[in-house]
Amino acid sequence: MKRKFSPLSAVSIVMVCVMLALSACSSSSNSPGQASAPSASAATTPAGGTASGATSEAPFEGWVEGLPKIEAPAGFNWRQFEGTKLNFISENTPPSSALAANIRIFEDATGIEVNIEQSNLDLVAEKVGLDFNAKNANYQIIYADPYQILTKHSRNLVDLNTFNNDPSLPHIPGGTEDFIESQLQADGYMGDTEHLYTLPYDSPTMVLAYRKDVFDKYKDQFMKEKGYDWTPSANLTWEQYYEIASWINEKVKAGVITEVKYGSGHEAKQHDALQCDFSNVLGAYGADYFEGENLGSVGAAKPGKSLLTSPEAIEAAKMYKKLLEVAAPGSTTWDWTGVAEAFAAGELAMAPIFHENNAMFEDETKSKVAGKVAWSVLPKGPKRSANLFGGTGIGISKYASEKEQKAAWLFLVWATSPQAQYMILKSKEAGSTPTRHSVYNLPDVQKGMEPGTEESKAMPNLLPMKAVLEAWKLENVYMRPKVPQWPQVDTIIYTELSKMLFNKQSPEDTMKTIAKKSDEITGA
Amino acid sequence: MPQWTRTIDRASAAAAAVRPHKRAKWNRTEFWMLLPSMIVLALISIFPFFFMIYASLMDYSLSLDEPVFAGLDNWRRILTSETFWHSWGRTAVFGVSGLVLQLAVGVLVALLMYYIPKGRNLILTLWMLPLFVAPVVAGLLWKYLLDPTYGLYDWVLKQFGLNTQILGDVSTAMPAIILMDIWEWTPLITLIVLAGLQSVPTEPLEAAEVDGASGLQKIRYILLPMVRRMIVVSLLIRSMDILRYVDTITITTEGGPADSTKTIGYYLMQVAFRFQDMGTAAALGLTMLVVTIIMGNFFVKIMKKGED
Repeated sequence: MKRKFSPLSAVSIVMVCVMLALSACSSSSNSPGQASAPSASAATTPAGGTASGATSEAPFEGWVEGLPKIEAPAGFNWRQFEGTKLNFISENTPPSSALAANIRIFEDATGIEVNIEQSNLDLVAEKVGLDFNAKNANYQIIYADPYQILTKHSRNLVDLNTFNNDPSLPHIPGGTEDFIESQLQADGYMGDTEHLYTLPYDSPTMVLAYRKDVFDKYKDQFMKEKGYDWTPSANLTWEQYYEIASWINEKVKAGVITEVKYGSGHEAKQHDALQCDFSNVLGAYGADYFEGENLGSVGAAKPGKSLLTSPEAIEAAKMYKKLLEVAAPGSTTWDWTGVAEAFAAGELAMAPIFHENNAMFEDETKSKVAGKVAWSVLPKGPKRSANLFGGTGIGISKYASEKEQKAAWLFLVWATSPQAQYMILKSKEAGSTPTRHSVYNLPDVQKGMEPGTEESKAMPNLLPMKAVLEAWKLENVYMRPKVPQWPQVDTIIYTELSKMLFNKQSPEDTMKTIAKKSDEITGA
Repeated sequence: MPQWTRTIDRASAAAAAVRPHKRAKWNRTEFWMLLPSMIVLALISIFPFFFMIYASLMDYSLSLDEPVFAGLDNWRRILTSETFWHSWGRTAVFGVSGLVLQLAVGVLVALLMYYIPKGRNLILTLWMLPLFVAPVVAGLLWKYLLDPTYGLYDWVLKQFGLNTQILGDVSTAMPAIILMDIWEWTPLITLIVLAGLQSVPTEPLEAAEVDGASGLQKIRYILLPMVRRMIVVSLLIRSMDILRYVDTITITTEGGPADSTKTIGYYLMQVAFRFQDMGTAAALGLTMLVVTIIMGNFFVKIMKKGED
């Protein structure tokens, strides 16, 4: 008997074939066209140099006396990867804009073409996640935010020790010890210090920006009424900050103070920024998010139980709510960009702000406060001053071909080198402040930290650096927990805090809710 | 038996004899002609649908190498999550109030334009301008207009003593989002309804005129019933769109403040791309699909009811 040809079964067969073909494509993680990453090495990172000791200088312009040089083994051909195209995905940050503007230096010297794609951080994390999941390497060079990307995807990044220990390749100029250690730990490692996944690239840190003109002008009046010097310094407390903000608000209403509209402003939009802003107060009160150790430095897969039900955390939440009650009403719509723009518009007398915004503040075309801004570490709580570090490193996708990985390594060596960091600092785009000790030791960089100098005008992001260097001290810096569940936990934190700010729940209940939901996510 | 009945019987018998052969031949032709479309449909629609069902049963995080079977964990998680139900609640508020207001304004403007003797095209073009703006751009536009530092509308409100942060207050953020949606999409309803009004034959209107009907009576008893299907079609399109409304929310409020603008679409996007939890996101997406189908059927039934 002849079997009938049913259209339905034919369509089913076609669909099954298509599904199988697609599944096969998606699961072919080690197809011949995709070279796997070189095996990771657990060796420690050398300071540079080669086994034979013979080196040749790199052909990049921009080196100045006093900085470690970019060097390669003798006879190294810097153009051996000529024609390679690399895609670098980065958050839209000043250093990446500065690097993009000066990428010709690297491309001319190596013949490697680098396309720098910039987006907001959420989009970067999304694109990187999808790229890694598909094992594609559409992006060979990754701006690996320690909290959103590195924690989840460290195993998709090449262990950079492999290249740094390879005698046939250039090494990190000045060695890893030239990086600021706490930043290298936070940006570069995940779980342990055996594998180096990224090199520190930028270093935004939250410190207190304040209007020097306002604080100078009304200093005596405040002193007379309140009995203490209100100039922000390491001795200022969050209680005093609250008192100062309230006092300025009163005087603005009374028409006494006309230079600003509000005493303080915060980045309190329902956004990652709100968690960052709150973390400064949380750390100052001696509290933290989880009980695990070293979460802020190398991080861990399991953070342990939430600590947010501690009395310190609840006190911090109460204080944070109090601070927002007197802050500019726009605070609940501002993320880190919004609060900086409001400060630049001359609305605020003081605000915790990422220090790299000083370039905007000192640019008269974008700011009404040029020449009027000073910086201090953030106020302290009962325990300490806690200043949130928001830096990031750059790494290489494991799914890039071997040739692309090596070309990307040359880019990393250059982009994170002291001379490139110095170039970024001096660029017209007023890029990031360096992640290298050696750059801060340069005489003109030292001078640039002093207000009114020519160097400070040429490198405006140096003006907050005295406060920032103080903030980077281990006793002052606050590093968020590096755990793979952070994006979910972060969302819970800022969502519940936002509810607290609108009186939907008390500070105690907010902390309890965050703790409960965080523990559910981390499995503690 | 009359001659003509015998003829019919013979014809029927012949047709019956021939039918299986013709039917099979037609099936094969039909199959080969439909095959390319079916393959395309399978790739862009059917395969993703089955893949979504598969993903909703897996622990499918982008940070995992391979998805792991999780049974109904994702479904249990979302169905017991208050964020899920609250997001649906906000979506209902957003959707119903948005649709009602858009319908009222859209139909009203369409009627006004129908009666405008001159300059209709110019006014219609101006009215339709928001339709040409990408939702992301619309979000940016409103964000800048309502910005507390340099926003024009914010400044105007402050001149009247209203110091409210429109997008930063739980009581005003959702109404603002609804108004943004109305501003952008009401012209679509106007356009569809106006097209319907212009195709209404003049005879019933002339007859009503002769019978002494007023303008309002003509609208109530002739025009609106005759464009009823157009109205339902525009509601069908907008109701499906409104569930997926995330662009403007992402740009302006990101679901805040205090979750007051977190609709189900935004929640799905957050789970999929911020948490990179594709399994839970697939389950959320399927609930949206079910609701969309129910809504679609509801509007189609209304349309058919009119036909009956």
